Amino acid sequence: MTPGLVVIGELRDGRPTEASREAAGVAYQLAAGAPVTGLLFGSPEDSLTSSWARDGISEVCFLPPPTDAARQAGALIPGVLSVLSERSAELVLLPSTTFGRELAGGLAARWDAGAATGVTAIHRGAAGWEVRRPVFGGRATETRSLSGPRAVVALRPRAFPAPEPRDLPGASTQRSMPEVGAVAKGPTLVGTEPVLTGEGPALGDATIVVAGGRGVRSADQFHLIEELAAALDAAVGASRAVTDAGWRPTSLQVGQTGRTVTPQLYIAVGISGAIQHIVGMIGSRVIVAINSDASAPIFKVADYGIVGDLFQIVPALLAEIRRVRGR
Amino acid sequence: MEIAVCVKPVPDPETRLRPGPDQRTLDVEGVKFVLAGYDESAVEQALLLRDQLPGSTVRALAYGPAPRTPEVLRSCLALGCDSVTHLEASAPVDDPMAVAAALAHVLASRPADLVLVGKQALDDEEGLVAPALGALLERPSFSSVTDLRWNPERSRFTFQRSTDTEIERWEAPVPLVIGLQQAWNDPRTAKLPNILKARRQPIDTVPAATIEAAVAGRNGRSLPLKFELPAPRAGARMIDYSTPAEAAERLVRLLREEAKVFP
Ligand SMILES: Cc1cc2nc3c(=O)[nH]c(=O)nc-3n(C[C@H](O)[C@H](O)[C@H](O)COP(=O)(O)OP(=O)(O)OC[C@H]3O[C@@H](n4cnc5c(N)ncnc54)[C@H](O)[C@@H]3O)c2cc1C
Ligand SMILES: Nc1ncnc2c1ncn2[C@@H]1O[C@H](COP(=O)(O)O)[C@@H](O)[C@H]1O
Repeated sequence: MTPGLVVIGELRDGRPTEASREAAGVAYQLAAGAPVTGLLFGSPEDSLTSSWARDGISEVCFLPPPTDAARQAGALIPGVLSVLSERSAELVLLPSTTFGRELAGGLAARWDAGAATGVTAIHRGAAGWEVRRPVFGGRATETRSLSGPRAVVALRPRAFPAPEPRDLPGASTQRSMPEVGAVAKGPTLVGTEPVLTGEGPALGDATIVVAGGRGVRSADQFHLIEELAAALDAAVGASRAVTDAGWRPTSLQVGQTGRTVTPQLYIAVGISGAIQHIVGMIGSRVIVAINSDASAPIFKVADYGIVGDLFQIVPALLAEIRRVRGR
Repeated sequence: MEIAVCVKPVPDPETRLRPGPDQRTLDVEGVKFVLAGYDESAVEQALLLRDQLPGSTVRALAYGPAPRTPEVLRSCLALGCDSVTHLEASAPVDDPMAVAAALAHVLASRPADLVLVGKQALDDEEGLVAPALGALLERPSFSSVTDLRWNPERSRFTFQRSTDTEIERWEAPVPLVIGLQQAWNDPRTAKLPNILKARRQPIDTVPAATIEAAVAGRNGRSLPLKFELPAPRAGARMIDYSTPAEAAERLVRLLREEAKVFP
């Protein structure tokens, strides 16, 4: 029998996020022709899910969107469980984001499933699902077997390619599921503020990250990094030297006490490459370093290096990128 | 207030990583296990809250084999935890869902008002235990939490949670499970007299058989099969150039044609 496969997605501005699309693409391949159920928190009226259908989702189920009080994953679990049991699900895939990981842990506990997060590869092994995942800040990789009848797997954003749009038969059906379960009383959301990432994509979500360090010298000059990021549609990151100096908010900090990022391309500008920084970006596929000091440790982990003054190199790079990209 | 803080013995962050003889897990020969990363901050946070809330107690819990687990619990005592509980195990525990089940079993028989957990462990980085504990104990749980503070006027905690796009500010009464992602507090270090005193302090134990019976009913399992190091990076290909424009042109060409990562 084909396994019941369910993908739990996240909506941003009414559309499934890139990471949710990647999860759909993985599910489509694992299902090998069997239907894949997509699950979203929202309403069919306010969501644009046609792209998700092309990514391989055969039917989209909607659970009521989380109210403020229900922004805890725990409150969503009863509804998710009702969909899983209706579909005789065996495997749940979801993005390994803050939300996805909270949901994965709570769901696996209540569904009696094996679970893994931050997964970069998955296939069916002899004894269950086999998953690969970076550990120790990307300094090593482990393979795990998730055995038992059910598994919850959170996929690391950007570890899987964005699915090619497919010409899939049959439009996806959409339906709203009834609300199940009550929201835990107590916690109240007092307010939210956007994470300051500038114009570009969110740091944890970006295909390209351009990060600046102390070599950039001042808060004012940091806009050079932001311009470079904008030219590449990249997210902006920073070393702790930059966030400690208050040049940019801590939300941009990459490293042991900041965020771990795993983009396709990481460009480190004026960053020395202290181990506490390295552990936050070593999982990037391709690393570029620009530094005036040829002996800077960052060059040991970089794939491409330019020894030079960033105040000369970055403007030249900006000009070349704009020329090549035609804008 | 009764505060429980769950700590995992993890390899010293300076450990040179290499696969063990069976290739399945890290080689732990000669490796020192310590309290580190988010767990260290969680202990610090627990102690700070106790100072602020007279009459509170801090209890550290850890699930794992001897000697590494009692050793790490002793370091919690040396830092000032009031009591510690060792959930005994006959072998290393490496399934976070089993960890959550074991901790939930012990915390159910002696509930804490606030359960503090690291957002993710330094080694496996799963981040599953905090939300799993919340679900099993049927308490609200939050991960990726910073700036946890007690508001005495309102008898509630306030804290922030960062998602990928937003920083949320929350207020919540106990009971609560919190997965801490703390970067601001510089954890204290234990003083020598306290380290010596901790050697004589009692460690509560829950026998392995009790724990195994409590988690035996679980079906879902996660088992390590293979531990690998990445192929060493060859070191950077350094780009020769005579002008910045030439450096830029060469880099962009390599990113497009060789690495294929140019947008
Ligand atoms: C417990 C702990 C946790 C930490 N956590 C983090 C963390 O999460 N993230 C983090 O980043 N750090 C962290 N750190 C700090 C870390 O050790 C380094 O101090 C920090 O990463 C240094 O930042 P930097 O590379 O920007 O600065 P520096 O080390 O000062 O490096 C600046 C670099 O810029 C280069 N440079 C200068 N001028 C130019 C120029 N004109 N053109 C080109 N290059 C130039 C220099 O050659 C130098 O290599 C942590 C430290 C500790 C102790
Ligand atoms: N064996 C353990 N004993 C006690 N607490 C643990 C154990 N394993 C994990 N934890 C707690 O759960 C957190 C998250 O672990 P993980 O889900 O494995 O990333 C850790 O930071 C600890 O606070």
